[in-house]
Amino acid sequence: MRKLTLAATVALLTGAGGASAQTLSLVEVITSPPRTEQLRAMVDQFEAANPGVTVEITSLPWGQAFERLATMVQGGQTPDVVEMPDRWLSLYANAGQLVDLTPFLAEWDGTAELTDATKSFGSVISGQTHMIPYGFYLRAMFWNKKLFAEAGLDRAPETLQEFYDFSAKIAELDGKYGYCLRGGPGATNGYIMMMLNFLGENKYFNEDGTSTLDDPKAIEGLQFIVDMYQNGLVPRDSVNWGFNEIVAGFYSGTCAMLDQDPDALIAIKERMPAEDFAVAPMPLGPAGKSFPTIGYAGWSIFEASEHKDVAFDLIAHLSSREMNLEWSKFVGVIPIHVGAEQDPFFTGPNFEGWFVEINDDRWEPTSMPTYLEEFGYFADVVSIQGGQEALLGQRTAEEVATEWADYLTPAQQKWLAAQ
Amino acid sequence: MTGRAGRGTGRLALALEPWVYLSPALVMLGLVMFVPLVVGFTYAFQDIRLLNPLAGGWVGLKNFETLAGDKNFRVALVNTVWWTVGSVALQFLFGLGLAMLLNRAFWGKRLVQAVVFLPWAVPTFLSGLTFAWLLNPVIGPVPHWLFAMGILEEPYNILGNPDLAMWGPIAANVWFGVPFFAITLLAALQAIPSEMYESAAIDGATAWQGFVQVTLPYLAPMIAITVLLRTIWIANFADLIIVMTNGGPANATQILPSYIFTTAYRKLDFGYASAIAMALLLLLFLYAVLLHQMRKVFRSTA
Repeated sequence: MRKLTLAATVALLTGAGGASAQTLSLVEVITSPPRTEQLRAMVDQFEAANPGVTVEITSLPWGQAFERLATMVQGGQTPDVVEMPDRWLSLYANAGQLVDLTPFLAEWDGTAELTDATKSFGSVISGQTHMIPYGFYLRAMFWNKKLFAEAGLDRAPETLQEFYDFSAKIAELDGKYGYCLRGGPGATNGYIMMMLNFLGENKYFNEDGTSTLDDPKAIEGLQFIVDMYQNGLVPRDSVNWGFNEIVAGFYSGTCAMLDQDPDALIAIKERMPAEDFAVAPMPLGPAGKSFPTIGYAGWSIFEASEHKDVAFDLIAHLSSREMNLEWSKFVGVIPIHVGAEQDPFFTGPNFEGWFVEINDDRWEPTSMPTYLEEFGYFADVVSIQGGQEALLGQRTAEEVATEWADYLTPAQQKWLAAQ
Repeated sequence: MTGRAGRGTGRLALALEPWVYLSPALVMLGLVMFVPLVVGFTYAFQDIRLLNPLAGGWVGLKNFETLAGDKNFRVALVNTVWWTVGSVALQFLFGLGLAMLLNRAFWGKRLVQAVVFLPWAVPTFLSGLTFAWLLNPVIGPVPHWLFAMGILEEPYNILGNPDLAMWGPIAANVWFGVPFFAITLLAALQAIPSEMYESAAIDGATAWQGFVQVTLPYLAPMIAITVLLRTIWIANFADLIIVMTNGGPANATQILPSYIFTTAYRKLDFGYASAIAMALLLLLFLYAVLLHQMRKVFRSTA
């Protein structure tokens, strides 16, 4: 950080060189070395087009990003631009920390090309926009064709009943399992999707703000996962599995199905021949519907920034059709512009599952209630601990689902009251 | 003739002099230790959330009332004791054994010493990740070995079994912490005069009697101080647990420091986190007092 202030001071002192000499700080929160390199290259183009503007990138490792960024903001070292994941957006937006981008978007010529989802997901407070998403993470089902063939199967499951039966068949093979269950960090999506699938509605709360997660049908959804675990259709260790473990479980051939976002494709493609697996849409629930979770991240500007106009120019550059296409191919997300899926990169068989989900009514992408300030703790702690207790049989699915509903209901009611 | 007044100020100055020399250290100590402690203490009686500093205010004993009825707190408390006792006992036993082995001349001793002390230099984050992968049956060998030895009924990851999960971080911690005990105990062993063993041998003491009657009494002060220090460090040491299990599955490896971390940085509830921290502080303080008393008793009987 000292380097940053130093750079700012130097820029100030040498301001004679050009009146527009400015240093923007950008914080990247989902970091990997090649990803930073890609971002750097895109930012370099921006610097080249805007002489006098320098952009400093600070990269935080995702595992510690939340507390590191919060500490930076608390300590007054607020960056100008930040890569904002969906689940923190509400926290920062409601605290008044982020710039409302609505007036900027009204003047930007790129706004018209954005998909509706892009515009609506950037807003957590009605009438205001605090982020331009850079892409969407959508769940679809990876399946291992070889393992399926060994178990005498030749297609992906279309319904949850088939999902269960196919898993059982594959689990009969020695040391193999049907599904790479995620019971550790990030398990929330899996539980929620299954609960909505059984509920048959893309609905987390009733009108009065009470949670639907303790609906008997939703509890059945949680019970479905618990049954799969307790009946040995998924690896015993999966109670602790996070992203790395489920992906390793899939490409090592330990478990035959994996629900993941397009970004997992990168890791899997490196280790599995493309013809050995495919990506199918998520299985349909008893009501004939399925609700794959959609996640997103994007670019936001901090209210504390002293260069808001230039900061918007930077995120407008990153959100341009050309840059965004490059970025979404690299990161593994569904791009944000109308018609971007026509690009040859996305038309291959490995992307089929995702585009079926987007284009067919039976699949309704669902966005978890990340606008609730309390949701981060629910996703990181409450749902993980409760889910593990249910999987291990320490508590019933009903007890756990009731606890979840009891946690989310007051949060939603507080949010409703504030609207 | 300048009189009493002059001598009086001289005496005062003399009395103050050492404090003046000490003052930079005292001010530093106050700033880096006392102030944060008091601030943390006051947090425990407030409702503090990181991104919303204006919310809440003083809430009296509310955080402590919540604490009394908190099931997760009780689980974490029991786990903390289990984690600390298990880690310290094993580290001490292996450390003592290692120190005894190294306290004799043999060829290549320097090299062996250097290698043996290496784990202490490995970042805990790295050792935690390495142990986590070693215990993963998809990639690591350990579950397959345990299965082959008949200890596990199938090669699964013990980190996923709530009854066994704590052994994972404990194993990593023992590997990491043995060198510390070995270094300190080896230094103490080398300070024992060899005449003591010679006279014991002349009196006809067996090797075991030599160990119990000579080695242990000489080591006792060092053992007491290292065990005290390590206990407090380990009770506060959540890195390995955060990296390997993050307190799971289902809280089976949640200890107080990891619970404090989760409450502060996930729930963003600094008030409650401080209340838990106060409880941990009190616990460790009581432990230190107890050990101090034990040393006193031990010394007076010796």
